[in-house]
Amino acid sequence: MSGWEGFLHGLSVALQPEVLIYCVFGVVLGTFVGVLPGIGAMATISLLLPITYYLSPEAALIMLAGVYYGSQYGGAVASILLRLPGTPQSAVTTLDGYPLAQQGRAGVALFTSMTSSFLGSFFGICVLIVLSGFLSRAATAFGAADYAAMMILGLVAASTIGAKHPAKGLAMVVLGLILGCVGTDVNSGAQRFTFGQAELMDGVNLVALAMGLFGVAEVIANIQVAERTGVPRRIAMRDLLPRREELKRIPFPALRGASLGSFFGALPGTGSTISSFLAYATERRISRHPEKFGNGAVEGVAGPEAANNAAAISAFVPTLTLGIPGDPIMALMLGALVIHGVQPGPLMLEARPDMFWGLIASFGIGNLLLLILNLPLIGIWVSMLRIPFRWLYPAILIFVCLGVYSVRGAPFDIFAVALIGAIGYALSLARFNPALLLLGFVLGPLIETNLRRALLISRGDPMIFLERPISAAFVAAIAALILVSVVQSLRRVRPA
Amino acid sequence: MTISRRAALIGAAVLTFATPALAQDAAWPSKPLHTFVGFPAGSSPDLLARIVTDPLAATLGQPIVIENKPGAGGVIGIQQMLNAKDQDYTFGTTINGPMTTAPRLVPDLGYDVAADVAPVALIATSPLVLVVAADFVADDLAGFVTAAGAEPEVVSYGSVGKGSGAHLTAELFSDRAGVEMLHIPYTSYAEVTTAIIGHEIDSGFMAPSAAMQYVEAGTLKILGITSQVPFDQAPGVPVMAGQAGLPDDFRAELWNAFIAPAGTDEAIINKLNADINVILADPAVQKRLADMGWQVAGGTAAELQQRIVEDTEIWGAVLDRIDAKN
Repeated sequence: MSGWEGFLHGLSVALQPEVLIYCVFGVVLGTFVGVLPGIGAMATISLLLPITYYLSPEAALIMLAGVYYGSQYGGAVASILLRLPGTPQSAVTTLDGYPLAQQGRAGVALFTSMTSSFLGSFFGICVLIVLSGFLSRAATAFGAADYAAMMILGLVAASTIGAKHPAKGLAMVVLGLILGCVGTDVNSGAQRFTFGQAELMDGVNLVALAMGLFGVAEVIANIQVAERTGVPRRIAMRDLLPRREELKRIPFPALRGASLGSFFGALPGTGSTISSFLAYATERRISRHPEKFGNGAVEGVAGPEAANNAAAISAFVPTLTLGIPGDPIMALMLGALVIHGVQPGPLMLEARPDMFWGLIASFGIGNLLLLILNLPLIGIWVSMLRIPFRWLYPAILIFVCLGVYSVRGAPFDIFAVALIGAIGYALSLARFNPALLLLGFVLGPLIETNLRRALLISRGDPMIFLERPISAAFVAAIAALILVSVVQSLRRVRPA
Repeated sequence: MTISRRAALIGAAVLTFATPALAQDAAWPSKPLHTFVGFPAGSSPDLLARIVTDPLAATLGQPIVIENKPGAGGVIGIQQMLNAKDQDYTFGTTINGPMTTAPRLVPDLGYDVAADVAPVALIATSPLVLVVAADFVADDLAGFVTAAGAEPEVVSYGSVGKGSGAHLTAELFSDRAGVEMLHIPYTSYAEVTTAIIGHEIDSGFMAPSAAMQYVEAGTLKILGITSQVPFDQAPGVPVMAGQAGLPDDFRAELWNAFIAPAGTDEAIINKLNADINVILADPAVQKRLADMGWQVAGGTAAELQQRIVEDTEIWGAVLDRIDAKN
């Protein structure tokens, strides 16, 4: 069965009324849990898991997947309006989305995010249909050395985005790398910086870190502000839509973001995080007005949002065809499949074409539904900003606590989020950008494990990074990037 | 005077503890039970716990709430179970690690297996299979041992981290077969499988269910299994014991058991053990567990106790060997 035939067959599965209704339910639920700060797809999917016993495997997976990508749409809402990203990917969206909201143009940011998310997903689906075989081979071709080189490239390319001062950006990345060291060392089993706390053995909780640095810090920062300014009393449809020249600035960044997302998303691990940061860095680098980034550039929302939605789609490739879940949510999806006696892996495409293509077709239907659902909702989301702070912020704190607790039911994490919030507030006073801290935190441990693994495999020979073609290409890109930055800064010092 | 006072105190203590126990004999369970699982919802240990607790709840006539407390390889689940105050209504399921090797691997473990945990019943066991890429030079275990024995660390294997079942099994195997292999730690079996298929590493021990698909797809081959008898879920795979210089009693299995905090009423433990054994005898339950790669075990609480002691000893010796190497 070729890709397009498969997709058509999938449509016949996904459009069955009893499957379609669960797709609708999944994406609607996903949107709402995505909007609620802290309560993400992870908690929702674990709660829904027992219910899926009573559904057909196709309906179950399509519903859970709907929650997953639906929450990506919703997650952007909380990032843009409240600076409350639930994941490192949506932390990138806050960089320009939140400034837009502060300028009273939240509607524009939301419109940009919704349409780019849709474009990104659609692009991702097309890539999946045409290239799923290639993508799954790419995932096996990537070895430890290649991953290490790729992630270092991501770190180098993105390490100064969103920072007025490169040194401050680097400081955040390094702090993130240090925080990423906390936990059990995979190679030796040694406990690093855990201070005897079993809760720290698996490292600092990512959701607690994101919620603390952004959400809680934002709440503290707003305690001294009496009321929000710049929110229009009545919102006309005109104010929700981007101006014509802004509209033109959405499609190309979205397509570039989507291509990055589709490729990196298929690599298990941190594909979607790297792709959103890279998409942002790319847009800023090629823009004629890089100074607009960080102050509400539409491209800064479009690129990363398209990237993370495309990545959310292509992340299903390694999950379904190799049985390798790229993140904890994908691992949960694998669990859902196993409950139904479906073993994801190389045989899945042949053994369960209904399931595979039905799911992919449901992505198309679900994303269309999300766009239709979310565009009219923009007005409602924006009016959320008119909720008085005395109601809004306590509610946010409650949701943050619920969300952080829901990750693994550890009260420890609630204390952690409070402490991290205080640190985040201090950082924002000193004008440090916490998005880069998250990048360092996510990539640090992966770079370390893959670097050490590559060197173990090569029996200590560092040439492995140049001998493998994939990693050699990444190393060359890193060298070029550093060279360009050095030349640029030298030119600035001594104008020709 | 002192003696009678102490006796009075003991008497009072006995009374305080005895009264609720007596009351429970008639009415236990009178409210929902909580079962702690040290792994996230949807993981294999979680699914296994649900397969057993669903029918158990029906038998007992009370709901059983699964409390997923993931972290530290299942250790957090046991810690949280022991912290729960609701005696006789708090239980747990655990894999072997937190009960056997954790005291060696986790500093500040916070519990003593022998003193704090009461075994209830062994639910299921899972052997591991030795997997290599389909184009690996050897086709059987003897050939593998020859290849690995040619030079120290010439053959590499992947595990899911230091002290994991895959790591310890490979080290036990190396010790018994008299070879030395290079250990490359990963974080999941899926990563290990991919690395073997991608020829990044040579081999790895993993659950049969994780490997069978790739064998059918023609990308991996299995050289042997670590159980004492052949395993239905890995048809045609030879038992390793007694082959290629391995001793006849060679055995390495992961297991999953139902446990309770020490001090749980003896009568309750016995009732639960009996009920769980009835559930495990149900062919439908056996099939669901087998589909996930688990072989139903069962048996008495004392047999589980025995297993914990034995495995702590076997794996302790392997850990000694690993520590001596580094």
